[in-house]
Amino acid sequence: METAFISKLKPLLHAVAETMDVYVPRKVDEHYVCSRYDPEAQAEPEWNEIRMCTPVKELLFPLREMAAAFPEPVEPQPVKPFAVFGLKACDLRSLEILDKVFMEEGFEDPFYIARREAMFSIASDCTAPGESCFCNLLYGKPYAEGGFDLNVSRVTDGYIVQPGSPKGRSFLFAHASLFGDVPDALLAERTELRELGQRRLADVHQELPVDAPLRTIVERGYASEAFDEEARTCVECQACTRVCPTCHCFYFHDTKQDDYFARMKMWDSCMRMGYAGVAGGANPRKILGDRLRHRFMHKFVWFFDRYGLEMCVGCGRCIDAESGDVDMRRVLRRLSDECLGMGQKAVQAPK
Amino acid sequence: MTANLYQPVSAEIAEIIDESPTIKSFVVVPDGEFPFDTGQFVELALPGEGEAPFTPSSSPSVTEKMEITIMKAGRITGLLHECGKGQPVGLRGPYGNGYPVDEFAGKHVYIVGGGVGLAPIRSLFLTLVDRIGDFKSVVCRFGARTPEDFIYKNTLFGAWQKLDGVEIKLTVDQANGDWDGNVGVVTTILNRKDVDIENAVAVVCGPPIMMKYATVSLLDFGFAPSKIYLSMEKNMSCGVGKCGHCMLGKYYVCKDGPVFTLDQIDKYPDIWE
Repeated sequence: METAFISKLKPLLHAVAETMDVYVPRKVDEHYVCSRYDPEAQAEPEWNEIRMCTPVKELLFPLREMAAAFPEPVEPQPVKPFAVFGLKACDLRSLEILDKVFMEEGFEDPFYIARREAMFSIASDCTAPGESCFCNLLYGKPYAEGGFDLNVSRVTDGYIVQPGSPKGRSFLFAHASLFGDVPDALLAERTELRELGQRRLADVHQELPVDAPLRTIVERGYASEAFDEEARTCVECQACTRVCPTCHCFYFHDTKQDDYFARMKMWDSCMRMGYAGVAGGANPRKILGDRLRHRFMHKFVWFFDRYGLEMCVGCGRCIDAESGDVDMRRVLRRLSDECLGMGQKAVQAPK
Repeated sequence: MTANLYQPVSAEIAEIIDESPTIKSFVVVPDGEFPFDTGQFVELALPGEGEAPFTPSSSPSVTEKMEITIMKAGRITGLLHECGKGQPVGLRGPYGNGYPVDEFAGKHVYIVGGGVGLAPIRSLFLTLVDRIGDFKSVVCRFGARTPEDFIYKNTLFGAWQKLDGVEIKLTVDQANGDWDGNVGVVTTILNRKDVDIENAVAVVCGPPIMMKYATVSLLDFGFAPSKIYLSMEKNMSCGVGKCGHCMLGKYYVCKDGPVFTLDQIDKYPDIWE
């Protein structure tokens, strides 16, 4: 079965909920947050036009988890299968990035892997890309082409459901009675809507430069004053890294319980002052601008050098969450202008 | 299911040796063998308090126990200094790459060390001495703030100096008592004629400021950056290239280091910060 039609979301999610916990988008003010689906609820589940503000990493690599215990060791427990509905192409790419880190051969994180394997991902097309979305600058599209178990596209009077994995195909097969065939006209409509989504995305960022790969722009801008200057309004709230679906720094915090010691693994942020400090007081990045530079270099240059892809998906969550008005696009635009300037100088130099 | 890479093994402090006013060596006995390569590091945990990275100072040929030399420098090291014999601890690792001793074969090994940087160097030194015939020579240039600040005094001032194939020179920043050796920072006892540089590798371990200036001298003598091995100290926390604290450019010091050749990292500014 290549694609299937269903007129409402509720029967689809109801079927998923038969065997799994399901997480769905729920609108709070202007954002969508990820919350538990209640199969008993009367209402039709919400359709998130863009990505939820909660990053999917939260379900795989929670804010706080016990990673070790003493004297009795702790081992990862089996995880109940769960599904997430409303993942966007940028979210799926963030999973690809996290997989590189936590599933690296010989260095596997068993807690992440247990959850990752238990996860059933139901992606959906972006129908109204947000003002902060810039996935198109990182090869992204407002719809997913892979990396999902199921993908859902909204069309007239219903939804086109497409499987993307053996798990997804088995699901459709097992629940075949829920679905109908997809007429060619609806497939054509899906194509049109997807093209419209791409045009909208391009319109949002007409002025953002794409003359050179972002990693080149950032790498050549290493010595730029842009980092110090753009960091001036940063209040070190660390929201940018918390809400980022690809940031994965963590620290250990050891605690004493009544009859055992527990080591908690908790999210950390490279924007934090003491992040890279060592005993004795040395700290390679005491200055805020240096920490902002590090964040950019890691995301666009060093992660690419190591794993072959950028550690940014252009979801714009950091821009929405930012309380200090540090806009990643503005920093990139500045670095790009400077990079372009350098190029011109290089060309002019021989005269 | 994949083993939990964050879980330490149980171990116990079996012996404590005072090395200097601020440095102690701890003999740690793990439950079961704990093999490592010289230059690799371990995460030593004080249960309920936290853990910190240290390179064992003992020879890797001994696997049922290891010695870890620790300077009192922060919270965890301060707490460890207060521990007594029998203290239960945790050990994770070993992590990182260690010294490529086989690549040193047939060459002079020129070792520059300072302060508590002699801890990883002691492990390397014992490894080299075990197969001293494989190397043209082992030439050591060690410094400390004062004579009391030298660690491993008994062997350093005695037995090691008499080993065949080994030549050791020491210096202190400030002399006192009956010190009759050199006075000055470690670069004052480095000389381009110490070894045949074309057939030598250099190993540097010590405080960042010492490493920085020793490296400048070595480059000036004509050592190729690819022949200068540096033990980098960063905030290694997870040990497995994930948590991000020890990043040095694209490298995770915990996984790609802690030993780097200068040419691997010299394109990154401020490596000594």
